[in-house]
Order: sequence, then C-alpha cells, then structure tokens
Amino acid sequence: MTLPSSASHLSTPKSKRGSGRPFARPYQAYLFLAPGLLLYLVFVFYPIINTARYSLFDWTGFSEPVYIGLENYTELFADNDFWKSIGNNFFFVTFYTILPILLALFLTALLTRSKLRGMSIYRTGLFIPQVMSSVVVGIIWRWLLGPTGPINEFLRLIGLGGLVQPWLGSFTYAPIAVGLVGTWYEYGLCMVLFIAGAQSIDQELYDAARIFGANAWQEFRYVTLPSLRPQILVAFVLTFIAAMRVFDMVFVLTGGGPGKQTYVTSLLIYEEAFQRNRAGYASAIAVVVTIIIIVVSLTVNYVQSRDGSQEVDI
Amino acid sequence: MLKRTSGFLVLLLLVLAVVPVSAQDEVTLVVWDNFTREAETTMIEALNAQFEEANPGVTVQRETYLTEDLTTVLPTALTETSGPDVAMINQGASNMGALVQAGLLLPLNDYADQYDWWNRYGAGLHARNSFSEDGAEFGVGNVYGVSNTAEVVGVFYWREDFEELGLEVPATLEELDAVLAALKDSGRTPIMFGSLDGWPAIHTLGAIQHSFATVEEVDAFTFGTEGGTFDTEANLLGAQKFLEWIAAGYFPDGFEGLDYDNASLSGFINHETSLWITGSWAAGNIIPELGEEPIGFFLFPPATADAPPLNIGGVGLAYGVRATSANPDVAAAYIDFITGSDAAAVLLENGFLPAAEVDTDVVAEGTLTADVVAAWNTISQGNAVGHYWDWTIPDMAPYIQELIAGVITPEDFIATVEADYTAE
Repeated sequence: MTLPSSASHLSTPKSKRGSGRPFARPYQAYLFLAPGLLLYLVFVFYPIINTARYSLFDWTGFSEPVYIGLENYTELFADNDFWKSIGNNFFFVTFYTILPILLALFLTALLTRSKLRGMSIYRTGLFIPQVMSSVVVGIIWRWLLGPTGPINEFLRLIGLGGLVQPWLGSFTYAPIAVGLVGTWYEYGLCMVLFIAGAQSIDQELYDAARIFGANAWQEFRYVTLPSLRPQILVAFVLTFIAAMRVFDMVFVLTGGGPGKQTYVTSLLIYEEAFQRNRAGYASAIAVVVTIIIIVVSLTVNYVQSRDGSQEVDI
Repeated sequence: MLKRTSGFLVLLLLVLAVVPVSAQDEVTLVVWDNFTREAETTMIEALNAQFEEANPGVTVQRETYLTEDLTTVLPTALTETSGPDVAMINQGASNMGALVQAGLLLPLNDYADQYDWWNRYGAGLHARNSFSEDGAEFGVGNVYGVSNTAEVVGVFYWREDFEELGLEVPATLEELDAVLAALKDSGRTPIMFGSLDGWPAIHTLGAIQHSFATVEEVDAFTFGTEGGTFDTEANLLGAQKFLEWIAAGYFPDGFEGLDYDNASLSGFINHETSLWITGSWAAGNIIPELGEEPIGFFLFPPATADAPPLNIGGVGLAYGVRATSANPDVAAAYIDFITGSDAAAVLLENGFLPAAEVDTDVVAEGTLTADVVAAWNTISQGNAVGHYWDWTIPDMAPYIQELIAGVITPEDFIATVEADYTAE
C-alpha cells in the first residue's frame, strides 16, 4: 500500500559528457549509489511490489494468504464505495491542483513584479501552511469551520448570519470546505516553485515587452506564464499526487463524511485494510490508485519532453 | 578431604547464587489498554501498581492506544512474540472474531473455570466475548476475553432544569417527549448531539430505536442468528422519531458540524443543553468537572409502559491473552485482578462503571454514580442490554448522516442498512 511519494523521475539532470572518466573502474559508481539504492529498494520498491502481490490474495493482514487471482479487482470495479471515493479524489484535484496553481500564479505575479517592502515576510508567511503538519492544519480548520467557530461568528458579525453553515457536517458544503483547506495547504508549494522559476526569467524579456508597450497582464501572459511552463507541470504532478493520496486532512476534518461526501480512496484503503481486515482487497485499491498516478505523471512528462522545453530540477 | 569439601562449598555457593534469581521468576507482562484520557491513565496505573505489589517479580509494561488504533495495530502485534501478553480487544466479528479466526487469541475457558469468571457478571454477557473456534460464529463457543468495565447508553440530565420546570424522570417515550417539549418551550436546547464524528449518531438514533425494539430482535440482528434483520417496525419508528426530534429543534443548531470530545462533552458540561444521550463512560469526564450532584442519569425509556427499558450497552473492551504468550498463567492472574472486585471498587471510585455487579449500597444516594450503577444493574439483571449497530454494520454512521441530511428517507435508510446486512 505504498504510493509513490515524489515525482523524482521528472527531474533527470543531463550529465555532461566529458572526456574525463570520473571513476577508474565503473563499479565504483555503483558503490556510491548503493546506500541510497538500498534504502529505496527496501523501503519503497519492495513494499510496492509486495502490495501488488498481495492484491492477488485473499488476506486479512495477519492470516495465511490465499491466492485468488484477479478476484479483488473484479470486486473492486463493482464496488460503489470505490467509484464514489475515486470520484471524490478527482473532485479534490480541482482544489488541490487547479486552484493552488492559479492562486500561486497570481501571487507570483504580485510578488515578483514590483519591489515590495518586507517581501521575504510575505513569502514566508504565504508558505507557512505548506510546512505545517497536515493533522495540525486539519485540527485548526475543524475549529475554524465549526458551527460556532470564527468563520461563522464572523459571518454573523457582518450581518450575513443567513450564510452560517455547519460547514464540515453539510452534505453540500463539506466537500468544498475540505477542498478549500487543501487549496490553502498546497498553494505555498506551487508559489515557491513559481517564484524560483520567475527569478530565472531573463530580465531583458520584460524590458523588451515594456518597450513594445505591454501592460502588466500582457507581461504576465506572454513572458511570465510561458517561461513558467516547466514549473507549472511539476506543480501539477506534485499536487495531483497529493490529491490522489489525501488521507490525514480528510480523516481529521470529516472522517469521510457526512455520508460518503468526502470519502476518498486512501480512507477506503485504510478501512478495508485495518477495520475490515481485507488487506488483499485494500492492496488492489492501492495498486489502481498508483497506476492512475503513474499514468498521469508519465503523460505530463511526455507533454513536457515532446515540446522540447527545458528540463527542470526541483 | 579438605579439597573435596571446599570444592563442594564452592559448588554450593554457586548454586545458592543462581537459585534466588530463577526462583524470583522475573516476568514482564506487556499489557495494551485503551485508557488514554487523563482520569483513565491515573486509575489504571494505580491498579497496575497494586497488581505488581501483590505479585513480586512481575512487572506490568503498559502501552496505551486509542480504541481505533488498538483495532489497527493489535492484529499484527499479536502475531509477534514481542507483542502484548494481555490486550484489550474490541468485540464483534471484524475485531475479536477475526483474531480468533487467525488463531491469535487463547481460549480462556479453563481459566474462567479456575477463577470462576463466569459469575463475574451476567452469564448472557459472556456471549459478547465468545466465538466458535473458527471465529465464524459470534456469541457461542469459547470465551476469549473478560471485561472489567460496563457501559450503558442512557440519558444524562441537569437536575436543576428538571427541578425548575417540575419535571420527572420519564418512564415512557411519551413522557420523554413531553419533557423535551417542556424544555424546548422554556427556551432551552433539550438534547446535546453532534454527528460530525459519525459514531455518536449511532448512539442517539440507536437509543431511540431500542426503545421500540425487543431484546430478541436486537440479539438476532447482532449475532446473525436466524430471523436477524434490520427491517423491523421498531427501527422504522425509531428513525421517524429521530427525524421528528431534529425537525422540532431538540438538538443544537448546526449539530451536523459538532464533534464529540470538544463540542458535545464540553457543551453539556457548560450547560448548553439539558440532556445528553451518551454512554455511561461520560460520567468519568463529568464528575471531575461538576461533581456528583448537578447531573443525573436515567435509562432511555421504552415506547410502551410495561416493556423493559432496553438500552444499548454491554461489557467494555475485553481483556484477552495472546495465543503465543510465554506467561499465560501470569496473564490470567492479571485478568483476574483487573476484572475482579478490588479493581471494581477503584473503577467505581473513578467514575467508571465496573462490569462486575456493584452493590448499590456502597454509593451515596442522589449521586451520578448511583444513577449509573442503578441503570446498569437494571438492564444487566433484566436481560435488557442492547447493541451498537456498527458492530454489525461498519458503515452505519454514513447511513445515518444521509438520513439526517434528508438524502434518504427513513424507509430508504432501513432498506439500505438491510441490503448491507444481507450482502455479507
């Protein structure tokens, strides 16, 4: 039940082809690789392979596994909970991926265009959500969004008491509320990526644009945005993976409720594996989610390399 | 000769040096429990110290987990030789049943005979810790655990509200309805309730449904015996009554967004509502805050006057023994102690309800503890202990949240649960 946790395959710095040989004997290179590789094999690769293997078994997690072929998968595709939860994951992509990227682009345009006093304070402040523990974020927002929490109290204060909602308990608003917390959590990462990217844009491009009379929007549209394309793709992949893997935040905020309105695949995996003792079936769900993530990541990678744009390191 | 004698002496000294160590029988007993809250921790650590004192050489190494985490971590821990010797185990097919099925728990029948655990509490209640040897059948076969706490889901109430409005503890559902209406009319919010966490909804709706039901119906449903069904008149009437109370505004505004620990518990202690339908365990949190006097407890009354007051409840998480434990005898001795009468007195002192029958004379009249003990004795002796629905239907909470939101009608709700029940 291990999902890939990074999109490291996106960043493959091209090695310089020099004439000098860095190592007298080629196996020496592998010696240096060995520690990292070993850790990767033991803690990432082995669990992934094992998860795939267990998905073919009827296994409680502590019983003797019984091989059942693809039965877990046939059951999975007829499981309403699975479709509901994967649908919710894709709903959260809007909030974990699309909105943070848009918001981060907006902030990047603001923060890079003009010299603001105390710029680093703004940048740090805006990045803080990203470095907080997601459980802490969940607990804070659970309080903020409570029926008598600050958000509702504020609405009452400004005379909008009619809009007051039990946000996290409402069938209509819980998915949006949980999604927006995700947006608040993820935009910092995108913003930092974009600001770093924007700083490497050649200043001459902006000078040229200004000479041609470009306004702020046109500068952003025709200089900043195209230059940030690699960073946007990286941000897309990272936040997409976050949306597909989301667990802790939803677990703390709503537990997947009300009903199954915010129920996501990782909750389903958790419940099947640890509450219903169906580790084999849970593994099958994890495999399907992993495949979706891999397909999307590879597609983005393909789009990027087809365009021949520069590779990006993160 | 002297040489031989001194050689013998040396040998004797060696033996003497070794023997005391092995005779002392140093045993570390690893015990997993779910006493995570402050009051609970203090209590269980005092009890463990008592056990260590009575059993020299035995060290109790305690690890504590939230009940949900116990469910998650325990199965794999029980497969390891370093796992807990004694652990608190949640009842039900997917918890204790699965562990029995995997052969991870020791059948305790012999120890139960030896220590006479059978008479520790009502014989019928041992069924909740019993499974057939293959773990498939619930409520029959070997006993795999003994509980030290009991719980009953009933109604906590602020006595001063009842006195002010001249209300009596209701004996029927009709009388309870009148109490609720009077409280509402006086400008109060009658019942504390929050459905954000899901599980409290099972207690509140379940309590109302049990009011209409018979013990045979709920037993058959939970143990999966013949005729077991959720599709009963009682469950439908209960669901309708629940929606009636929501519509009447008997629960706090925005209760869909209220949780248990922060909003409900502290809200009731702050007198935001007059009543609270929850388990007797809440007494352990209420008494340290408010003392014994201001709050009382009564059984959720039956829909018909002459019916016994069937309430959700039971014995708490059961102490079981790992099948591969190296010290099963010490483990059994610990269980005997922790579920016995000495421990029961300490439990009661700390606001817990002991599973072992408690003499009501030892507690002061008019206290919350007295009310809770009396309620438990009534349903335990009267064979009127009901069940938590989620033992049988893990998805019960989401279904009730759909019912609350009006996504499904009471009839749909019954049909949905029944479909889930028969799908297994």
